[in-house]
Amino acid sequence: MKLEQDKYASLDSPLHRWEPRCKFVGLVALIFAFSFVRELSMLPAMMTVTAAIYAISRLPVSFWLTRLRYPSFFLLVVVLLLPFLSGQTVILSLGPLGLRQEGLISVMLITVRFLCILTVGLVLFGTAPFLTTIKAMRALGLPGILTDMALLAFRYLNELGDDLHRMETSMRLRGFRQHRLSRRGLGVLAWLGGSILVRSYERSEWVYRAMIVRGYGNAPPPRDEFQVSAGDVVALVVTFLVAIGFVAGDILI
Amino acid sequence: MIRTCSMKEMMLQYGQPGMAEPALLVSGLWFSYPDKRDVLRDINLKVMPGERVGLIGPNGAGKTTLFLTVCGVLKPALGEIMVLGKPVLNGDFCPEVGLVFQNPDDQLFCPSVRDDVAFGPQNMGLSKEEVEARVREALSVVGGLELASRAAHHLSEGEKRMVSIAGVLAMRPQLLLYDEPSANLDIRSRRRLIRVLQASKETILIASHDLELVLEVCNRVVLMDEGRIIVDGEPRQVMADDELMEAHGQEKPHSLVPHSVPHPHYQR
Amino acid sequence: MHIPDGILPATVCAAGYAAAAPVTWYSVRRINQRENPRADIPKASLLTAAFFVVSWIHIPLPPTSVHLVLNGLLGVVLGYFAFPAILIGLFFQAVMFQHGGLTTLGVNAIIMGLPALVSYYIFRMRNILEKKSQLITGVFGFVAGFAAIGISVALFLVILLTNIPAELDVATERTAIYTLALAHLPLMVIEGVFTGLVAVFLQRVRPQLLDSI
Repeated sequence: MKLEQDKYASLDSPLHRWEPRCKFVGLVALIFAFSFVRELSMLPAMMTVTAAIYAISRLPVSFWLTRLRYPSFFLLVVVLLLPFLSGQTVILSLGPLGLRQEGLISVMLITVRFLCILTVGLVLFGTAPFLTTIKAMRALGLPGILTDMALLAFRYLNELGDDLHRMETSMRLRGFRQHRLSRRGLGVLAWLGGSILVRSYERSEWVYRAMIVRGYGNAPPPRDEFQVSAGDVVALVVTFLVAIGFVAGDILI
Repeated sequence: MIRTCSMKEMMLQYGQPGMAEPALLVSGLWFSYPDKRDVLRDINLKVMPGERVGLIGPNGAGKTTLFLTVCGVLKPALGEIMVLGKPVLNGDFCPEVGLVFQNPDDQLFCPSVRDDVAFGPQNMGLSKEEVEARVREALSVVGGLELASRAAHHLSEGEKRMVSIAGVLAMRPQLLLYDEPSANLDIRSRRRLIRVLQASKETILIASHDLELVLEVCNRVVLMDEGRIIVDGEPRQVMADDELMEAHGQEKPHSLVPHSVPHPHYQR
Repeated sequence: MHIPDGILPATVCAAGYAAAAPVTWYSVRRINQRENPRADIPKASLLTAAFFVVSWIHIPLPPTSVHLVLNGLLGVVLGYFAFPAILIGLFFQAVMFQHGGLTTLGVNAIIMGLPALVSYYIFRMRNILEKKSQLITGVFGFVAGFAAIGISVALFLVILLTNIPAELDVATERTAIYTLALAHLPLMVIEGVFTGLVAVFLQRVRPQLLDSI
């Protein structure tokens, strides 16, 4: 398992250059405004804004497509089920099933909201190194325990993933096959899982010692230095206005 | 005399094809990772039964990758691998080939040493008695019978190494691949490992930076660099070649330096 | 079993965050009351990453294979660190794999995290007993794992079905919830057994992991 989080974090675009805290607040506000939308007529505007943001970010379309692969299964279920379950106005009968208007409308709403939020989320976390974004969240007041844990967990995720991969390889080489569920098989997998926990626990003791000898916990963590320019603030205000526009538009229509 | 590797020469050296089945025959092997191209470039290697081959070369030379293709974990882009006359197929369980991982923790996951050594034989579908017999046999080979009921996670580094070797030996492989077997071992454990390796009757390949160990154990050495086999020959001859060794990031082992030369900073 | 973005009304998303905030605050407070909270952070962090990795293990359940949720085991091993750990795990999943969602992070944290705390309390009852045989540990582990995933499934289904835009009547809704919950029963049993087995393994190999945090 390779984490390709930071693959495009070093591109150059206005969104990459936007100060991380402003970007976080602005785009999160936009995401929540999107989740507020219930009117069909707001959807074209939502898609336009999202497409514009993605275009400005210069992230490649292939990145968007690969990220869509995993959640698309959920989308498929919604698209296939809801039109038949929801609402009273049957607009097309397929044998015992009725295609309902209300269901179709909710499918459109859910799909567009889902895709737009996902896309803006990709831009938010794909246009800066993941660690920078977490530091921005710390600077915005997220509790230190949470950010410390997130930073450390992220640091070791790849390595523990590699550990698991090598252990599974060594088990395969010694003939372990898991085609069906058996008592022994589940027991062996529990040992594997338990071993990963024990290994990470033992490693954490050394990580802690290494942190202590370099003074961890003696002084408050350094304030992250982020420089806010006038442009950053203008971008933030514009994003806020757009977000407010979506909420107001949805209420007024 | 040092020679570069070619199939024809190897066949001259190690007998005519067909006279005895080679333990390992690798021909025209190429391999690439998705993010790293040509990790192995045209590897040709023939190892006869009972040979002990040291595989040396800098990090990233392709030693571990070669091992992983030989035991069927990685699928080569091109080329063929035969173990005892049978082709190695990607993903097949092949108890004839044993791989001892560089980090024993990658192998040891069972609560007790006995469980861990028994893991392979159990997967081979052997009877309970046979499994128990193999566990005892394998543990006694590495001198670890008294460890059987201990928890693998509580062992010393040297004991872990021995148990991980026993876990592979218990499957009675014909061809054993050791990836950095002496890494992290203290002097005594390393000596014990060398004795075990010297006494083993299987065909073995050892990838190692521990050149002294290779000198003591192996009757043949293969120097790899950047995915290619550079030299294949007699260990003392290859490793004594200062120019060759330095060109590929190696050093002549100290035991091959004449001991009559006094230390340059010695003063009395 | 994570609710994705776009499906829940904004009010429910906000309520999720509003509910997750005090639980996080309470967890952090309990952590800070410990003797040396800083010392536990590396442990909890690496275990958070480890749980994330362990949930990648495929458990065969023909004709398919499943990934475990492991929130019960998380509670058993991490105690009050479980809720922050789950919050971080869900955040990683949303950001790295687009699994779950950013707006639904609070809701999902409640669905997964509250049951983890319940498991922690269940497993802690083991301490009342003088002798902790492997059987007892296994049974407590099973109950903790089974209960956690059971509560999670229930919360998930109730939140999803009451907020889905389908105008289902109350009776249909209730039947749907019961049926879907029953369909998750095999998964719940597997989670329980797995949690019990890992707890026994840890007791044999590193009992500190069951007691320290």
